[in-house]
Amino acid sequence: MRLAFEEKGADYLLATRDEHGNVAPVLLKKGDEPGTLRVDVPYQMAMILTKVNKFVKEGKIAVVARRCDERAIAELVKRDLLDQSRLNLIGLACSAEQVKECRCTDPCPSVVDFGECAEPSGDDASVARLLDMSLSDRLGFWIAQFRKCNKCFGCTLNCPVCFCDECLLEDKTFTPEKGIPPGLAFHLIRAIHLADKCVECGECERSCPVDIPLLSLRKMVSQDMKELFDYVSGDSERRSPLLTTLEGDPMEDDANVC
Amino acid sequence: MNEFNPNILAFCCNWCSYAGADLAGVNRLQMPPNVNVVRVMCSASVKPEYIFKAVSQGIDGVLVLGCHIGDCHYLTGNHRTAKRIPLAARLLGKVGIDPRRVRLDWVSAAEGEKFQQVVTEFVEDVKKLGPNPMKEVRF
Ligand code: SF4
Ligand code: SF4
Ligand code: FES
Repeated sequence: MRLAFEEKGADYLLATRDEHGNVAPVLLKKGDEPGTLRVDVPYQMAMILTKVNKFVKEGKIAVVARRCDERAIAELVKRDLLDQSRLNLIGLACSAEQVKECRCTDPCPSVVDFGECAEPSGDDASVARLLDMSLSDRLGFWIAQFRKCNKCFGCTLNCPVCFCDECLLEDKTFTPEKGIPPGLAFHLIRAIHLADKCVECGECERSCPVDIPLLSLRKMVSQDMKELFDYVSGDSERRSPLLTTLEGDPMEDDANVC
Repeated sequence: MNEFNPNILAFCCNWCSYAGADLAGVNRLQMPPNVNVVRVMCSASVKPEYIFKAVSQGIDGVLVLGCHIGDCHYLTGNHRTAKRIPLAARLLGKVGIDPRRVRLDWVSAAEGEKFQQVVTEFVEDVKKLGPNPMKEVRF
């Protein structure tokens, strides 16, 4: 790891390391004692980067990034929330188990420095099962799932591409201030706000303490984005279709972030 | 049994569709009385959030009406609408609410008759779908 960092000529290294038996992100300067660096537990580096960016204003940061981190970073760069020229990506390939857990179809980073690329997973069986259900069964399924939600905001806080300073989900117009569960609109609003950004990292599903299959919902929305606009989030070249005119030009107004 | 009378929300943009609705009224065109018109400045101000809130609280159908493409008072406002509303409707389908409960159409200020036709058709369609199942759901 140290080697990769110095080879890439960065001033900082953002990685994860062992902290009291847990895994935590760490920002190392050249010459810092690295401790026991770990790459076995997925961590949302894009989200950590936006935080680091607030106090590290200069110098290059080398960051250990899996394929989904890379795509999340691309989404943030497009929205001017990160500066690509200050980043160096150290590619980390996910293990076969991790790929299976995320039902990931795109697991291989553009440059692999660590690990070996596993086979991408095929179509998501849980999504197919849900789409096979009748509308009323599907509604029943999701209502039962959403009833478990305790509005902990874990899915929001850990999401690498959730970046608004003022969250609509905290607005009492849409989410009742008191009482849980927060209802159907809460989950739909989150799903649509991430439609053009979600990189299917699966962090929301992993974070959810009550095991709501949030990743399946995200995957269904991504499928729609693909069908309607032929767009896949994490595309570093293309602006989100929701932020362009029907001809694909940028919108006249300045609402170009969300 | 009483006939099902759907409760419908119609978002109309101030510059075209609301004027179209007005024209339909002035011309005394007959229309089903189930529609609650909400005037918004542009169809682009109808965020999917509003639709989700309405539907999760039991509204049977949501109509979004704006100026024809190219005529939006804010130039490209309705381009945004044209992209986000179908996505929102599909998302409703993904959680088990019929996407046909949301309809997007363009009605200009001169199209009183089109307003009448869209509203009548939509009310009929929603009648066929029956009441919004969210009415029965208590979270
Ligand atoms: S999978 Fe969940 S946490 Fe990951 S980008 Fe999508 S919404 Fe965010
Ligand atoms: S992480 Fe799960 S329980 Fe927490 S707010 Fe999100 S959906 Fe609800
Ligand atoms: S003003 Fe009518 S759609 Fe924008």
